[in-house]
Amino acid sequence: METKDPKKHRKKNSGPKAEKKKKRHLQALQLGDEEDARKRNPKAFAVQSAVRMARSFHRTQDLKTKKHHIPVVDRTPVEPPPIVVVVMGPPKVGKSTLIQCLIRNFTRQKLTEIRGPVTIVSGKKRRLTIIECGCDINMMIDLAKVADLALMLIDASFGFEMETFEFLNICQVHGFPKIMGVLTHLDSFKYNKQLKKTKKRLKHRFWTEVYPGAKLFYLSGMVHGEYQNQEIHNLGRFITVMKFRPLTWQTSHPYILADRMEDLTNPEDIRTNIKCDRKVSLYGYLRGGHLKNKSQIHIPGVGDFVVSDVSFLPDPCALPEQQKKRCLNEKEKLVYAPFSGVGGVLYDKDAVYVDLGGSHGFQESEEVRPTHELVQSLISTHSTIDAKMASSRVTLFSDSKPLGSEDIDNQGLWMPKEEKQVDLKTGRVRRKAIFGDEEDESGDSDDEDNKEMSEGDRLENSSSDDETEEGEDAEMTGKQYMSGKGIKRQKLEMEEDIEVDLPAFADSDDDLERSSVEEATEEDDESIEEEDSTAEEERDILESKAVREGGKPGLLQTNDLSDSLNLEKSLTMKKATLTTSDSGHCTAEEAFASEDESEENSSLSTEEEDSENEEVIRKKFPKPSQVVSSQKLVSESLIDETSDIEDLLREEEDYKEENNYSTETSGALKWKEDLSRKAAEAFLRQQQTTPNLRKLIYGTVTEDNEEEDGDTKEELGGLFRVSQSASECKHKADSLDCSRFHVEVPHDWDLEEVMNSIRDCFVTGKWEEDKDAAKILAEDEELYGDFEDLETGDVHKGKSGPDTQVEDVEEEVKEIDPNAEESAKKKHLDKKRKLKEMFDAEYDEGENTYFDDLKGEMQKQAQLNRAEFEDQDDEARVQYEGFRPGMYVRIEIENVPCEFVLNFDPHYPVILGGLGNSEGNVGYVQMRLKKHRWYKKILKSRDPVIFSVGWRRFQTIPLYYIEDHNGRQRLLKYTPQHMHCGATFWGPITPQGTGFLAIQSVSGIMADFRIAATGVVLDLDKSIKIVKKLKLTGFPYKIFKNTSFIKGMFNSALEVAKFEGAVIRTVSGIRGQIKKALRAPEGAFRATFEDKLLMSDIVFMRTWYPVSVPAFYNPVTSLLKPAGEKDTWSGMRTTGQLRLSHGIKLKASKDSLYKPVVRQKKHFNSLHIPKALQKALPFKSKPKTQAKAGKIPKDRLRPAVIREPHERKILALLDALSTVHSEKMKKAKEQRHLHNKEHFKVKQKEEEEKLKRQKDLRKKLYRIQGQKERRNQKSSLKGPGEQLK
Amino acid sequence: MATQAHSLSYAGCNFLRQRLVLSTLSGRPVKIRKIRARDDNPGLRDFEASFIRLLDKITNGSRIEINQTGTTLYYQPGLLYGGSVEHDCSILRSIGYYLESLLCLAPFMKHPLRIVLRGVTNDQVDPSVDVLKATALPLLKQFGIDGESFELKIVRRGMLPGGGGEVLFSCPVRKVLKPIQLTDPGKIRRIRGMAYSVRVSPQMANRIVDSARSILNKFIPDIYIYTDHMKGVNAGRSPGFGLWLVAETTNGTFLSAELVSNHQGQGAAVLPEDLGRNCAKLLLEEIHRGGCVDSTNQSLALLLMTLGQQDVSKVLLGPLSPYTFSKKDCLFVQEAKFIVTPLD
Repeated sequence: METKDPKKHRKKNSGPKAEKKKKRHLQALQLGDEEDARKRNPKAFAVQSAVRMARSFHRTQDLKTKKHHIPVVDRTPVEPPPIVVVVMGPPKVGKSTLIQCLIRNFTRQKLTEIRGPVTIVSGKKRRLTIIECGCDINMMIDLAKVADLALMLIDASFGFEMETFEFLNICQVHGFPKIMGVLTHLDSFKYNKQLKKTKKRLKHRFWTEVYPGAKLFYLSGMVHGEYQNQEIHNLGRFITVMKFRPLTWQTSHPYILADRMEDLTNPEDIRTNIKCDRKVSLYGYLRGGHLKNKSQIHIPGVGDFVVSDVSFLPDPCALPEQQKKRCLNEKEKLVYAPFSGVGGVLYDKDAVYVDLGGSHGFQESEEVRPTHELVQSLISTHSTIDAKMASSRVTLFSDSKPLGSEDIDNQGLWMPKEEKQVDLKTGRVRRKAIFGDEEDESGDSDDEDNKEMSEGDRLENSSSDDETEEGEDAEMTGKQYMSGKGIKRQKLEMEEDIEVDLPAFADSDDDLERSSVEEATEEDDESIEEEDSTAEEERDILESKAVREGGKPGLLQTNDLSDSLNLEKSLTMKKATLTTSDSGHCTAEEAFASEDESEENSSLSTEEEDSENEEVIRKKFPKPSQVVSSQKLVSESLIDETSDIEDLLREEEDYKEENNYSTETSGALKWKEDLSRKAAEAFLRQQQTTPNLRKLIYGTVTEDNEEEDGDTKEELGGLFRVSQSASECKHKADSLDCSRFHVEVPHDWDLEEVMNSIRDCFVTGKWEEDKDAAKILAEDEELYGDFEDLETGDVHKGKSGPDTQVEDVEEEVKEIDPNAEESAKKKHLDKKRKLKEMFDAEYDEGENTYFDDLKGEMQKQAQLNRAEFEDQDDEARVQYEGFRPGMYVRIEIENVPCEFVLNFDPHYPVILGGLGNSEGNVGYVQMRLKKHRWYKKILKSRDPVIFSVGWRRFQTIPLYYIEDHNGRQRLLKYTPQHMHCGATFWGPITPQGTGFLAIQSVSGIMADFRIAATGVVLDLDKSIKIVKKLKLTGFPYKIFKNTSFIKGMFNSALEVAKFEGAVIRTVSGIRGQIKKALRAPEGAFRATFEDKLLMSDIVFMRTWYPVSVPAFYNPVTSLLKPAGEKDTWSGMRTTGQLRLSHGIKLKASKDSLYKPVVRQKKHFNSLHIPKALQKALPFKSKPKTQAKAGKIPKDRLRPAVIREPHERKILALLDALSTVHSEKMKKAKEQRHLHNKEHFKVKQKEEEEKLKRQKDLRKKLYRIQGQKERRNQKSSLKGPGEQLK
Repeated sequence: MATQAHSLSYAGCNFLRQRLVLSTLSGRPVKIRKIRARDDNPGLRDFEASFIRLLDKITNGSRIEINQTGTTLYYQPGLLYGGSVEHDCSILRSIGYYLESLLCLAPFMKHPLRIVLRGVTNDQVDPSVDVLKATALPLLKQFGIDGESFELKIVRRGMLPGGGGEVLFSCPVRKVLKPIQLTDPGKIRRIRGMAYSVRVSPQMANRIVDSARSILNKFIPDIYIYTDHMKGVNAGRSPGFGLWLVAETTNGTFLSAELVSNHQGQGAAVLPEDLGRNCAKLLLEEIHRGGCVDSTNQSLALLLMTLGQQDVSKVLLGPLSPYTFSKKDCLFVQEAKFIVTPLD
């Protein structure tokens, strides 16, 4: 048979079946256009039960509201500070390796030795500060408070160690930062299964401790002593994208994790007294809240301080500015770790140190103390100290302290670094930026300016380059001179200082040529005379600088100069400097004078000013250049300088030419534009800020002080005072304290014009345009009539009132006022926004909830906060809102114990925690406390314990108490085992709700779990209410019926009087009351009871005695311990420890000793059941076997009695007699028995007869009775008549 | 050992109240020297002593040291405690003197404050209780201090020289204040007021009302001035009469003015008509000054702005009163600074 191929199945492509299939297929892919199930099957979704519906609704609503948090105003800074990553773990787990690997991963740099925090740029928007945390509990506590992320390293081959759990518990108490576990040493497992099991076990244990699902990272093995690149990279990714929850304590307090420390103490003070208190500056990123100057801070491990000065510095590890690319380029991968010697650029308040690394960097030389430097520098100088002292405001060397410190202080600290000296020796080249003092304060903006310039303008660029090089050169020359001519060096420094002071105001140096050029030259001459031979070179440099100052007007910042306060200050400074006539001061003064001028000129229009400026520059340029050229020959002698200066000169001549002939090259044009803009800005700023108002309000403080000073000066001979001029002072000081604002010159309100002046303040008066109901209505009509108008915006402008329009036009004619345009634009935008808001409101009305509103409000506030300070520069902003988080700040602190500096160890974190308003105060703090369940002992009242609360770690003496049902706080001797109790101690006030932990000691390594207790602050108070029970006992000495006289309870009648009416009780429970004191024995009283007492009764009274908390507060100063011993701090010892160390044994009262309880054996008699009862019992219960009468023990045996023969005879006779007698009795008894029997029989017979007789008798009686009745019946039948008969 | 917060030192008795109040709020001890040191009658006055006593009552753990002559005062503030308190104020100053400070402190107590103050309710020196009730309370409400228990009640009216007034003030506790944005005072929409008289003819009040209206009617028709004549024990111990006016704007700003008759034995008698007219003129002056906050409450507004969260608050003020002006020097306690921008 041939087998034909069967016909193949053909899919149907059309028809209803195909369509159906297609639909099904689509539905399976969830692409079908089938309507949802609700529509398809409405019955399934119909309301079955209203109750269930309500319930489910309720539930969803509950779930929804559960998710809500109270909205808070968003205060996260625009540029957040680096995230603190704490790498924690027991020793030898791989912490340092991990940090090194992470740093290498992010920055491609390898740090060999890591000390202290390392800040790196990890991404476009994130920086990290990585710090290692050892297992010293001090360090663990401090770092847990500042950590944003804790990487907990766990040795998988070993398992969890105590430190890990301790750290977790510390974290829990102090806000719980994000925690990520990292398992290391995974390569020690040979078998995969075992590895898997271990991983799982550790993971689950970790989860129970942190939260289920917490991330645990596995680092599988080491390659060449480092972790695997891919794993580290992944870990890095995790860290970079991690989100953080704000922690309450951290967000509400400013804090700094210091990454740099400088000792600013005067070396002379240190020389005289090495233990003198130090002045220290600490650097770091500000985190948390805003920090204000002069606020209180706490450095854990050191103590409380007041910030003596704060300033912000340019960010040493800044985020990349441009964010076009996806990833960072090599230049932007910065790392900053001054403690580890990695910094690149170090910024100080008025200097920048560039570390070029190079081949000469020796680590050892950093240990050199400044005292050495002083000595060395003294050797190298050739002038006497006296001479140096005489010339004030002179720094000996670039690296030592300024000698005329008060002057220098005024000018804005010029603090040299100790590293600088080191670097000089090692040959590391450092360049000092030559910004002015104020400029530097305004910091990075200036820098940015520089950069901008360099981008745009080549000329500018070169000049600025020159500038820095120049500075460098100056130093170089300084060095040269130092070897040769000491005075020369001084002078140079001086110049630099002066230049620092220069408020190089750009736009009005016009009086250079007008007034003080002659002065300048004169002064210069003087200085030349003074300085003999070397002056010429110096002058050369000076002049060149002056030229540059003229040349770079566009460069320099002018912000601060508008501030009049600053101005005044600088004025006084300058005056002071003038008196000592220095070569460079002419320029300073000029600049200042020009300042004033510019203020006066401020009324001029901007354009005029602009042109004036140009003129000024044109005029100004030739002169200095000429001077320079005249000096050119001289300057050529110095090889280093001349080349630079020549360059400079060339550039400046270029400038000059450009300006003179006003050739409109592109560069020059730009420069000029900038100038005009700057001038305009300056003008506007002056108008806006109106320093008068601020000065009016904030400027009078100094006046007051002066007055005070004057007051103190008027003392004569220490005894008498001149009591004059005090009148107005007194008037001011003792004036009436009243808030009313009295009207001095009242207006005459009857006059029409006066009345008209306020008429618009009433609703009946004229309204502003945008609020006038009629106008708005009209506008609205327009608005809704045609939408095109709205878009153009011009229409509205045209619509504004005729008067204002005219004014506008006038303004426009006068000057191109950007404000007018802006305001119009703004108006337009406002209108648009309003419309949008209206639309939004209408559109979203249904869904708006209270929560949404609240959130909206917060958001609005956040916007407002941002907008308020957005356009202000940091300098001004800092004054109002304080230093904001994210800034790199430098904090100066005075009176720091010298041990902090001497024993400084960068491995230990230095945290500057800002304190709140009253957190610096000390009082009683009440807390809820629970002994930690892993701590082996219980805590004893009045034993010193170390607490960690807020920023602080301190030792104090707590009292434990428990609250009774009536609110009484009863003292406890020991903390309960498994229960919360209260604790009160005397210590720093910390806000309620702050968590704390307690440890018994921070020193050494303890065998067990170290955290003794945890809890939370409940209450703060200045008084305490803890009481302990006190029982007073007394004895009755006279008892009447219910009244007794009690003695021995009190000592005097007065005491009794205090307790009259108090309840007393006897031990047996008879209650009573104290009535009145008695006279006779002192302290006895009359009392009544509910029953009669016995003389043996003891009467007692229960009272409560307030306990005082010892005022002992001892901060843990672990950072002051010598390096290597920082974990050995020990404070006050407990009584137990003291006793142990001194070998004192406690003498216990014998009565309170525990003795073995001796109990007497209870002897029970055998159960005796009476025979009758035994008989009655069922067999089952009958006693079966009588216990055999055991042998009578010998002691029970009676002694045998041996009688005398005579006695025996008597006894025998008695026996016989008794036998006879008993026999007789027996017989008699038998006889009697028989007799009785007989008698009984007789009696019975008689009885029977008697009964018989009685029976017969009764029979007879009944018969008679019956007959009688019968008779009666018969008679009744016969009738009454018969009866009568 | 414990480092006490660095204390502040001042000289002279001016702004004593402010200094003590701010010291209490900031927790920093304060030392004031030379209190009327050159005066014939040196040292603290009765009313100041009474104020210090009041502070002691509402705080817990304050330490107050005054030297023999009363020219030096050391005040170490305790914790603001609150609770139910009664206080007899000195009659040298009116209750307003004490109440102004209490308004600053009350929201920050541990327990809600409920205080009965006895003394003079209206005098010519201090803002009266009525005015504070009409202006300061709405201002505090702007800061979010509100609630059922927030009230100021004049139980008895007491005039100089006898006194005998009684005021009940209760305030809830608010840890966080709302930031305010008071930059637009709005337009005055109505004027309210009260003419009160005690121990004089009730007709006096009506006469005051008529005269005051005669001036204010020129500006706005919506005026209502109540008359309040207290009798018996509620009228205090001395006769007197007075008027206070408050102008309310569309945006909830209250501007006030008040005037009280000369008290018994002080100067010439005042005609009620004159008093009404002068008071109305004072109100117009106040309106002329402008601002979103009454001149008496300027300092209160500024203080509460600094005590709030670290959000930006804005307020438009008229010319600063000398009292407010002095505040800045005290506010250094808080390290607070204000941005002052003039309005055209």
